[in-house]
Amino acid sequence: MTRQPLWLRILAHAGAGLVLAFLVLPIAAVLPASVNKASFIILPPTAYSMRWYGEFFLDGEWRSALLTSLQVAVVATIVAVVLGTISAIGLSRVRGRWHGVLTGLFLAPMIVPVIVTAVAIYRSALDVGLAGTVLGLGLSHAILALPFVVINVGIALRAVDPNWLRAAAGLGAGPWTIFRTVTLLNITPGLVGGAVFSFITSFDEVVIAVFMAGYAGKTLPVKIWEAIRIEYTPVVAVAATLMILLAMLLFAGAQGLSRGQTMLKKTEKPQT
Amino acid sequence: MSRHRLETVCLLAPALAFLLLLFVVPLARLFSLAFTDEGGAFATFAILAESEVYRRVMVNTLIVAVAVTLITVVLAWPVAYALSRLKGFWFALALYGVLFPFWISVLVRTFSWMILLERNGPINRLLQGIGVTDQPLALLFNDTGVMIGMVHVLLPYAIMPLYAAMVRIDRRLLLASDGLGAGLFDTFRRVYFPLALPGLLGGATFVFLLSLGFFITPALLGGANAITLSMLIASFVTDRLAWSLAAAGSLVLLVVVLVLLGLAARLLPLDKGMLAR
Amino acid sequence: MNLAAASRSGLSLRFEGAAKNYGDVAALKPTDLTVSASEFLTLLGPSGSGKTTLLNLAAGYLEPSAGRIFIGEREVTHVPARRRNIGMVFQNYALFPHMSVGENVAYGLKVRRVERAEVARRVEAALRLVQLDGFGHRAIQQLSGGQQQRVALARALVIEPDVLLMDEPLGALDKQLRRSVQLELRRLHEEHQRTTIYVTHDQEEALVLSDRIAVMRDGRIEQLGTASDLYDRPVNAFVAGFIGESNLLPARVTAIEGDRAQADVDALCHSVTAAAAPGLQAGKEAALLIRPEHVLLGAAPGIAAEIVELVYLGELTALNLRLPGGATLWARQITGHDLRRGTQVSIGWRHDNARIVPA
Repeated sequence: MTRQPLWLRILAHAGAGLVLAFLVLPIAAVLPASVNKASFIILPPTAYSMRWYGEFFLDGEWRSALLTSLQVAVVATIVAVVLGTISAIGLSRVRGRWHGVLTGLFLAPMIVPVIVTAVAIYRSALDVGLAGTVLGLGLSHAILALPFVVINVGIALRAVDPNWLRAAAGLGAGPWTIFRTVTLLNITPGLVGGAVFSFITSFDEVVIAVFMAGYAGKTLPVKIWEAIRIEYTPVVAVAATLMILLAMLLFAGAQGLSRGQTMLKKTEKPQT
Repeated sequence: MSRHRLETVCLLAPALAFLLLLFVVPLARLFSLAFTDEGGAFATFAILAESEVYRRVMVNTLIVAVAVTLITVVLAWPVAYALSRLKGFWFALALYGVLFPFWISVLVRTFSWMILLERNGPINRLLQGIGVTDQPLALLFNDTGVMIGMVHVLLPYAIMPLYAAMVRIDRRLLLASDGLGAGLFDTFRRVYFPLALPGLLGGATFVFLLSLGFFITPALLGGANAITLSMLIASFVTDRLAWSLAAAGSLVLLVVVLVLLGLAARLLPLDKGMLAR
Repeated sequence: MNLAAASRSGLSLRFEGAAKNYGDVAALKPTDLTVSASEFLTLLGPSGSGKTTLLNLAAGYLEPSAGRIFIGEREVTHVPARRRNIGMVFQNYALFPHMSVGENVAYGLKVRRVERAEVARRVEAALRLVQLDGFGHRAIQQLSGGQQQRVALARALVIEPDVLLMDEPLGALDKQLRRSVQLELRRLHEEHQRTTIYVTHDQEEALVLSDRIAVMRDGRIEQLGTASDLYDRPVNAFVAGFIGESNLLPARVTAIEGDRAQADVDALCHSVTAAAAPGLQAGKEAALLIRPEHVLLGAAPGIAAEIVELVYLGELTALNLRLPGGATLWARQITGHDLRRGTQVSIGWRHDNARIVPA
């Protein structure tokens, strides 16, 4: 209703458009780089070819890195979702000072710089022999993913009216039946959101993985990391493109599942 | 203990045990290494503080973090403002534009910037093409590259809190200011900006803390002269096996982050922004 | 400012064919309205009647789609709010939450670059005016609704506006408080005589406060006049129904002679002669208006009616009366008569207390 001068509105929206372009467009750079025919990365490509996709899938090291990544992400997701969900339910029953303390503890992996977490976990994993294993890496990633599950399920739980639980109990349902038929059903969107975040967090994670991987357990990001620093061929662009595609698939899936829900805000901490 | 409390404890116990065993204990064990150097309990910290090289790393880390925070906040402003004013399709498009990068691996995004910022990459060729420069600019393997990459990753963290503060500003306050005779600049300075400030400071704090511990982007886009604290910690572990120094560096980083977080939580007038209904 | 002396009592405000359209929807149809200097004029109407649109056109928050607007002799049609020197009190006050009471009140003076000592003096005076002296350092959140309302008023008045505009300023207060603030507003207006446009949907508020009332419906002014004009001589059934309690019986006009008309009223089973509202046409649908306090019990000759409901109101008792045709009328009697449900009574009214108005 205020009359804002036109020039100001144009300036603000043009500025916003430019910044959004800066946010989104550079991500797309790996796509043309991946269909480059030359044996070095050049943008825009002078000739196009799918040869590097062939290289990627024929190379045993890249294939096994992809496989390791998927295994690690599955382990991390299962652990984070199971532990995160029950602790979110537990947290919703705590009141007062303890609630703040426990919330702080559950969110701590988001606050501690990842490099610190990575070095600490690596040291202890070396001592107990978990370094370089899928289980060790999966459990480490579960720590980073746990906060997202606790937050997402926690938000979903707030929408569960305690009176529903009392009503179900009054109708003769036991605790497990109440959980299954009332609570679980209503927190499913939060649970799915948490699971997707967990998966992508683990799948994209580099810092812990770089330390933990050793020779056996290289994940796709670790392989990319090494390739960038050593070979720097268009195969890296192929791997990067595949990671983007997977992320978009998960993004679209999560959006589809949460249609009508407000789960858009993934307040993830970047892997730094 | 009542039955209700027992159940609650049972629900919380597995995750707490997990966190304790795989997160808290490893951190405590790492930090204990900082005090076990042959030179004495605080020898590691003395080394970090006295070495010219390490001091330069600390200063560089701070400079990069401050610069990234300032640039991020400036760039976040128009986007947050547009988000707070847009409706329907354009709002959704802009919001997806902000949230989409969250889903893409930081490694992949950093790699994209490597391709773009190369000496003979598209950006340098564009700049030469339009006559901004004759020689290709050094955009990679220095602080410039690090800052571009970090701003790209951290921008959404500044946009979201700022947007949340802006969207809460009651439009009638602006009308009231207008009616009371204030020009655009006065309304901005005395009403709009102070009400958006908590969101701005919240976002800036978040960005600054994340910048301090950033690793992937500086490690790939930075050069020998653009080393940050996190890169130093990593090199203590992987190149020099100097665990006690790595532990001391980690402890310094964590303490700085926690102190700043505590200060921010205490000082930021977060409640005022929320009251602006 | 030189204007200070002149604006002490405010300036007149004039709309000439002012209209506001949103696409095909006319929020305000072309409207002429003059508010005299020092007048207190209320825009009264249901939501969507265009009263807030008219107010926002006066304030400069909206630009008219057609027509012109004048404050005093100055045309302000396309002048933004900040250059109109108006005082606006918003429905939810729109007090700046990050400023103290004193800073809120000082705002309009600061942006006019008034000197610091002068600001302090005028803020203090304004706060005294609304009986909030000593509250300058309080935070807005510490105040009650009624106090916030008074801060909003002080903030609008301190700049000595040419016109004071109020958009349902008492809407958020409870009924008790509303009554006392109404009297307070009237006192302020009597003392300072500032031109005021006041928007409300509460007819009682309008009656208490206003010099004149404009009753609005569907984007136009249905009737403009003093409280007694509207109450005693409503121009149509809508105004009659909106101001005060009323009995409206469907009627068909059969004849008009001067200021009197004759109409068939089915509910009464015979024809009635009564005062005629302007614009009445023979053969058209109309309504017979009788205010409840004008219905006389025990009239002879009268119309037979049965008491179907009694509502005790304290000093008065409201009676719901069923007429032979099935329609009902409300009447008011001093409490204390021995009235019972089911009693048959004979009712009537004085001819000059009945009025035939267009439906």
